[in-house]
Amino acid sequence: MAERGSQTLLFGPMKPVGLTNPHTGKRAYAVVQLRQDNREDTLRNIVGFQTKLKHGEQKRIFRMIPGLENAEFARLGGIHKNTFIKSPLLLDRYLCLKDMPHIRFAGQISGCEGYIESAATGFLAGYFAACRILGKTPLIPPATTAFGAMLNHLIDDTNVEDFQPMNINFGLFPELEPEITANGKIRHIKGAERKEAYCRRALEDIIDWTEQL
Amino acid sequence: MSDTQIHIIGAGLAGSEAAWQLAERGIRVLIHEMKPQKFSPAHKSADYAELVCSNSFRSDNHQNSAIGLLHQEMRLAGSLIMRCADAAKVPAGGALAVDRDEFARRVTEEIKAHPLIDSVCEEITALPDASFGEVIVATGPLTGEALAEDILKQISHQA
Ligand SMILES: Cc1cc2nc3c(=O)[nH]c(=O)nc-3n(C[C@H](O)[C@H](O)[C@H](O)COP(=O)(O)OP(=O)(O)OC[C@H]3O[C@@H](n4cnc5c(N)ncnc54)[C@H](O)[C@@H]3O)c2cc1C
Ligand SMILES: Cc1cc2nc3c(=O)[nH]c(=O)nc-3n(C[C@H](O)[C@H](O)[C@H](O)COP(=O)(O)OP(=O)(O)OC[C@H]3O[C@@H](n4cnc5c(N)ncnc54)[C@H](O)[C@@H]3O)c2cc1C
Repeated sequence: MAERGSQTLLFGPMKPVGLTNPHTGKRAYAVVQLRQDNREDTLRNIVGFQTKLKHGEQKRIFRMIPGLENAEFARLGGIHKNTFIKSPLLLDRYLCLKDMPHIRFAGQISGCEGYIESAATGFLAGYFAACRILGKTPLIPPATTAFGAMLNHLIDDTNVEDFQPMNINFGLFPELEPEITANGKIRHIKGAERKEAYCRRALEDIIDWTEQL
Repeated sequence: MSDTQIHIIGAGLAGSEAAWQLAERGIRVLIHEMKPQKFSPAHKSADYAELVCSNSFRSDNHQNSAIGLLHQEMRLAGSLIMRCADAAKVPAGGALAVDRDEFARRVTEEIKAHPLIDSVCEEITALPDASFGEVIVATGPLTGEALAEDILKQISHQA
């Protein structure tokens, strides 16, 4: 990102938006966010600074940030590989390999991305497997919920060729129904209201599912 | 354990949650985790559910964020990972961030204490055949190379 231009980081991880210096009332040129990393607050992490720079270079460059001259580094950045399978082609709706149904996949290898997304697909795989072992029919989470949207991303075979691991996002949810206003007009839900409507609908629909698990 | 009903390969975020959900439904689980015998390039601790990078689970707002919504749905469904995350929470504005060591320790302790979950430390190098019964593969983005190659071999006739 930094290679793209000397200003690029100002619009990315170092964006100073919404942060005014309480002492001077001025907006900063660029900011570095240090997020608390342990309960004792003896460790902090630099938000948005994942990098493939050599470790020595990371220390040298990050110590150039005002205030970090004497920082000690507990862990440095690194870019990793990302192994995943073409789930929409290979898996059934219960996350089993179509050709070897005793094998189920879950987590990032199944094509989700992120900590809680991985835990959520692990939840589904565990629940589906329990159903089969107990001889029960598994309930698929409603498509309008985040669980259902994540699962659909993994098994929706309309998109096999371009399949890529993905974080949960509202683009994976079915579209909202337009509202009919009091005077009979169709009103499409827009902007910030859209996100709230997705969340409201999901939290209503998830209850039916969780109550029967 | 001879009466194992399901094998889980990998005790990261996905494998740990899967093991818990199975055991809570009365099923005997055997976890195969290669740590601490072997570590991926990003994993460093012997604990399960290790967060290899950021300590943040991103936004916790379930009124306007998709990931915050997933957090809330996971809580409602009885997720172990969310329960441990909430317990190990550190201040981070609207995000859910955790003390990574405390989080992983809590998950590991709960799993090891569950009477229906057993674990072995070993690297699995090939997809188990059907005689093993039910298997969940949850080996993550840094799946051990041998297993990754075997998966590729076994599924390549379809891809
Ligand atoms: C490799 C393998 C391992 C199996 N292990 C067990 C076992 O340990 N214990 C046991 O009781 N049965 C087991 N079964 C049997 C299995 O649960 C089904 O009963 C069997 O596949 C028959 O399916 P069907 O097509 O006749 O019926 P279906 O109507 O397709 O399914 C029968 C029931 O199983 C559920 N089911 C089907 N596929 C899955 C899946 N992938 N994940 C979760 N639930 C599913 C269905 O919802 C339904 O309730 C196993 C099957 C296979 C192929
Ligand atoms: C360097 C890096 C940085 C990341 N940063 C973030 C981030 O900031 N935020 C975020 O949300 N996500 C991040 N991710 C993605 C993150 O990996 C996933 O979100 C999540 O950890 C995946 O969960 P998982 O359970 O699928 O895999 P993991 O949590 O990786 O768990 C897999 C487990 O399987 C074990 N294992 C692997 N192969 C074998 C084998 N053959 N036999 C036995 N055991 C095996 C491993 O030791 C590990 O314990 C990052 C990933 C990497 C690699």
